[in-house]
Amino acid sequence: MSSRLNPFILASAAKCIGCRACELACGAAHVQGGVSVGSLQGSIAPRLYLTRAEDICVPVGCRHCEDAPCAAVCPNGAIQRTDSGVLVDEEHCVGCKTCLAACPVGAMEMARIWKDGRPALRRAVDPQNPDACIIEPALLASKCDLCHERENGPACVEVCPKGALTLVEPVKVKKRRNIEAALALAEVDTRTDFRSGEGR
Amino acid sequence: MKNFTQVVAVDQAVCTGCRRCAEVCPVDAIVGAEGEPQSIDASKCVICGQCVLTCSAFVSPFDDVAEKLPAMCEERGLDADDQSMLFAAHFRNDTKRVSAMLSDPAKKSMVQCAPAVRTSIAEEYGLAPGTLTPGQLAASLRRLGFDAVYDTIFAADVTVMEESSELLQRIESGGPLPMFTSCCPGWVRYMETAWPDLTDHLSSCKSPQQMAGALFKTYGAEIAGVGPESIASIAVMPCTAKKHEASRPEMQAGGVPDVDAVLTVTELAAMLKAKNIDLTAMPEEEFDVPMGLYSGAGVIFGATGGVMEAALRTAIAVTTGKDVSESGVEFFPAGEGIHRASVDVAGNNLRAVVVSGLANAAPLLEDVRAGKADFDFMEVMCCPGGCVAGGGQPKLLPGVDRAEAIAKRRGGLHRHDKELPVRASHKNESVVALYKKYLGEPLGHRSHELLHTHYGDKSGVC
Repeated sequence: MSSRLNPFILASAAKCIGCRACELACGAAHVQGGVSVGSLQGSIAPRLYLTRAEDICVPVGCRHCEDAPCAAVCPNGAIQRTDSGVLVDEEHCVGCKTCLAACPVGAMEMARIWKDGRPALRRAVDPQNPDACIIEPALLASKCDLCHERENGPACVEVCPKGALTLVEPVKVKKRRNIEAALALAEVDTRTDFRSGEGR
Repeated sequence: MKNFTQVVAVDQAVCTGCRRCAEVCPVDAIVGAEGEPQSIDASKCVICGQCVLTCSAFVSPFDDVAEKLPAMCEERGLDADDQSMLFAAHFRNDTKRVSAMLSDPAKKSMVQCAPAVRTSIAEEYGLAPGTLTPGQLAASLRRLGFDAVYDTIFAADVTVMEESSELLQRIESGGPLPMFTSCCPGWVRYMETAWPDLTDHLSSCKSPQQMAGALFKTYGAEIAGVGPESIASIAVMPCTAKKHEASRPEMQAGGVPDVDAVLTVTELAAMLKAKNIDLTAMPEEEFDVPMGLYSGAGVIFGATGGVMEAALRTAIAVTTGKDVSESGVEFFPAGEGIHRASVDVAGNNLRAVVVSGLANAAPLLEDVRAGKADFDFMEVMCCPGGCVAGGGQPKLLPGVDRAEAIAKRRGGLHRHDKELPVRASHKNESVVALYKKYLGEPLGHRSHELLHTHYGDKSGVC
């Protein structure tokens, strides 16, 4: 991965059939478990979201923005740009939802976060007994982490039955487009002298 | 519950209309436009549950519909606060009914589990497909509170006795041939709905599940010293069609159903987890005698080709007097999902066919209908690979190599067969004792009453 521009996952609305396998695989990749749905330890909270609008459906997720608004607005410094993309540090998140409001694509959610088979917990005042505290699963900022700890890369890309998801590496894309453009220009050059506007 | 009779259904509020279920449905029973919620044509559906295994449209906590999760859980027979994921394609949950039977002090509960359960249930605890846990399964069922922990494999051994006798009898008396196996309820339902004119070809044997249930309420009741009405007969199956089979009106003896409730592998795992029973940490225990004793032949009923091999082991041994642990008959590929072999049984050349996957049976059935069938005995398993791939098995996550997982489950059963001291059904001491003490002869009067049935035209019947 390039540290100059963050990679991100992009889905093709033309290819997507709406099966939600990407969301299921994403959720499963972020909890402990084996090969079956029943083996998953923890509730599933996908980090990309199948979205339906008019007559299309397509999953939407984090673009790992270069000037990430979520990171800029976080009052606790819990969101940071790293070599693995824009990541949430759950240890510092307080669930204030400012990031959710700031994200231009709606990539941020508040969810139960599972670490080592257990949900991250929060301490809250017991509504029944204001002098005491209760410990309950916390809802914390949750978004795509590009499966940076997963050997085979992003789970959603791997499982899509229609190949609708791609891990876009912007620097590589730009270089490839440059080359394609250069070759196209050379092709044009052999047929047309576009500087003078006259055909050969 | 909205529709109690429909075992497999698609939840319109959850379905996204991707139609991946339609790709795996062997009978084109999934109806609906792309992008619209689908429904199941119950008159065609064989209840195999392949759609349930394939469906990946689930209720995400971020969906609007997630607010209705408690009501949706209750509609599916779960507790309102159940944490299970809800998918669009699902089967009827019977765990509450079974819990009620287990806590009923007036009932003596007897459970059976199909062969393919012991090679897959460990997946629900994070272990690899094909991990064999027969002993831990018996121990877990005991901890759950079953009074008698019996085994469907015992009944599979009884099926071999009855079915191989029936085949030999049909060969002697001239038909109807070819004879088809009747262990797989998806296959039986397909015959009854799509090929009703050929149902006479089905063996009259009940499936092992129903044979076990019928024996629980008669032979088992005698052993337990209670009447059949005091027995709760429960089956753990890798199959959704077994739920339907258990509720068929003809599947009873003496006015009580053979099987009162059927749990799938995933339902049993959920019940165990709810009681904090860790199957993988259980000691290895034995199934209860007499109906928990089983042979290797019965074990392989859970994989394609297994019923055939089990029947051949006994047929060859009984007709030649040779004591064989394996039939030695080699089957050769003969088209997609089809294997064939020829074998000499009692001086007759028996032409055998094994079909894996319902969709592959149609050309052979066309031949039978046209009177051109070039075989005498056919085993059909609805799910590609056999019961190890059944709709009640653990639901594999997207990205998991399905074919590999099924091959490993199948491998587990074949390993188990090889490690057992008795590998042919007629050598199972408990089966020998059952015939001696209770049934008399295969195809005898009592067998006919308890273990056989009649399959017939069910076209248009949901």
